[in-house]
Amino acid sequence: MNEITPAQLAPYVTGGAFALSFVFGAVANKTNFCTMGAVSDWVNMGDLSRMRMWLLAIAVAVLGTSALQLTGTIDLAKSIYTGANFLWLSYSVGGFLFGVGMTLGSGCGSKTLVRIGAGNLKSVVVYVFLGIAAYMTLRGLFGAFRVGVLEKASITLAPGQSLPSLLSPWLGLSGETSTAILAALVGGGLLAFVYASRQFRASFDYTLGGVVTGLVVVGGWYVSGHLGYLAEDPKTLQEAFVATNSGRMEAFSFVAPLAYSLEYLMFWTDQSKILTYGIASALGVIAGSAAYAIATRSFRWQGFRDAEDTALHMLGGILMGFGGITALGCTVGQGISGFSTLALGSMVTFLAIVAGAAATMKVQYWRIMNTG
Amino acid sequence: MHYDKEVDARGLNCPLPILRAKKALNDMTAGQVLRILATDPGSVRDFQTFSMQTGNELLSHDASNKEFTFFMKRK
Repeated sequence: MNEITPAQLAPYVTGGAFALSFVFGAVANKTNFCTMGAVSDWVNMGDLSRMRMWLLAIAVAVLGTSALQLTGTIDLAKSIYTGANFLWLSYSVGGFLFGVGMTLGSGCGSKTLVRIGAGNLKSVVVYVFLGIAAYMTLRGLFGAFRVGVLEKASITLAPGQSLPSLLSPWLGLSGETSTAILAALVGGGLLAFVYASRQFRASFDYTLGGVVTGLVVVGGWYVSGHLGYLAEDPKTLQEAFVATNSGRMEAFSFVAPLAYSLEYLMFWTDQSKILTYGIASALGVIAGSAAYAIATRSFRWQGFRDAEDTALHMLGGILMGFGGITALGCTVGQGISGFSTLALGSMVTFLAIVAGAAATMKVQYWRIMNTG
Repeated sequence: MHYDKEVDARGLNCPLPILRAKKALNDMTAGQVLRILATDPGSVRDFQTFSMQTGNELLSHDASNKEFTFFMKRK
C-alpha cells in the first residue's frame, strides 16, 4: 500500500497558500484594504468605512471557519490560537507595540507585502527589520524577554480559550451548538454593523475587500487543516500539518512567516529548511499585489524621504516583529485568522493593536501641530 | 491654479500626508486653497475620503510625473 508522505502533500499546501495569498495581494491593492488605514481613517477623519471592511473580513472568516469546524473538515483545537494558555500580558503589550509599529512603518505586515509588490522600497526595509526582529523574538535576545517576563503573566483557561469552549459549560450546551450560536451572533452582529452604513453599501470595493479577505482566511484553514493534514506521518507516526513552521494548523499571518522567509534564504542549502505555507503566503501577497500594480500601470518605485523617515520605518519594523511574535499574530494573524477561531486572546490582541495605532496617530498629530 | 499654502508630503505614507494637511488647513481661513504634493498612491483615496468627511472641498487632483497634486479649499 502506498502511504501519502509529507513531501507529496507539501506542494499542494504551499501552492494553495500561494494561490490564496496571491488573490489577497491583488484585491488588497485594488481595494486599499489596510488595517492601519482603517484606524487612521477612523481616528483622523471620523470615517469607519475601512474599519467596516476589516470587520467584514472578520465576519466572513468567523462564519466560514465555524462552518468548517462544524462539518468536521478542520479541528480548530489544533491551531495556535485556541490553547488553554491565555497570555494576557503578551497579547496586550505585543498587540499595542504592533499597533505602534504599523503606524510608523506605513502599514502592518500584510500591507508591507502589498506595498513591496507595488514598488515601495521603504517596505522592503520594513520587511527586513520586521523579519529580523521577529526571529530575535522567536529564538533570540527579544525571545528571552518574551518568555522570561511577558509569558509569565498567563491564566490557564481549560479546556481552551475559544468562546465556545469557555461558554458551553455555562450555557449547558454542547461545543458544536455553542460554536454555531456564537459564530452566528458574532458574525451576524458584525455583518449587521458593517452593512448599516449606506456609504459602505454604496462601494463595491469595500465589500470586495472584506469578503475576499475573509474567504482567503477560510481557504487558508482548509488548505492547512484539511488538505495538509496527515493523521499519521509515516516517519514519526504522529499526526502532522504538512509544510508548516509551527507544526500546527495555520491560516494567514504575516510576522513569523517573514522571519522564516529570511531564514529560508539564509539557510538555503540546509536540507531541513523547506518552503512552507507561511513563506509561500508572503511571496503570494507580493506577487498578487505586483500583478495588479503592473496590470493597472500603477506600479511605481518609492523611496525614503529623509533620515527621519528611514529611522521611523526601521523602528516600525522592529516593533511589528517583536509585537507580532509576542502577541502570537498581527492584524491578519490574530486580527482575522485568530478571531475566526473565536479565541479570546485574538480579540484582546485586536483591541490592543487598534489602541496602539490610534495612540501613535494622536502623538504624530500632536508632534506635527507643535513642530510643523 | 492659485493656492494660498502648500504641503509637501512627497515621500511620506499614510497617515502623515493627511495629518500634515489637517495641520495646514487648521492654520488657514475659509475659502483659502491648499496645494498638497504627494507620492503615496493611497493618498488619492485618502484625500477623497478626507474631503467627504470634513467638508473641505477637493477642487482637483492630478497624477503626473509620478506625483499627485491635490487642491483643497478650506471650508
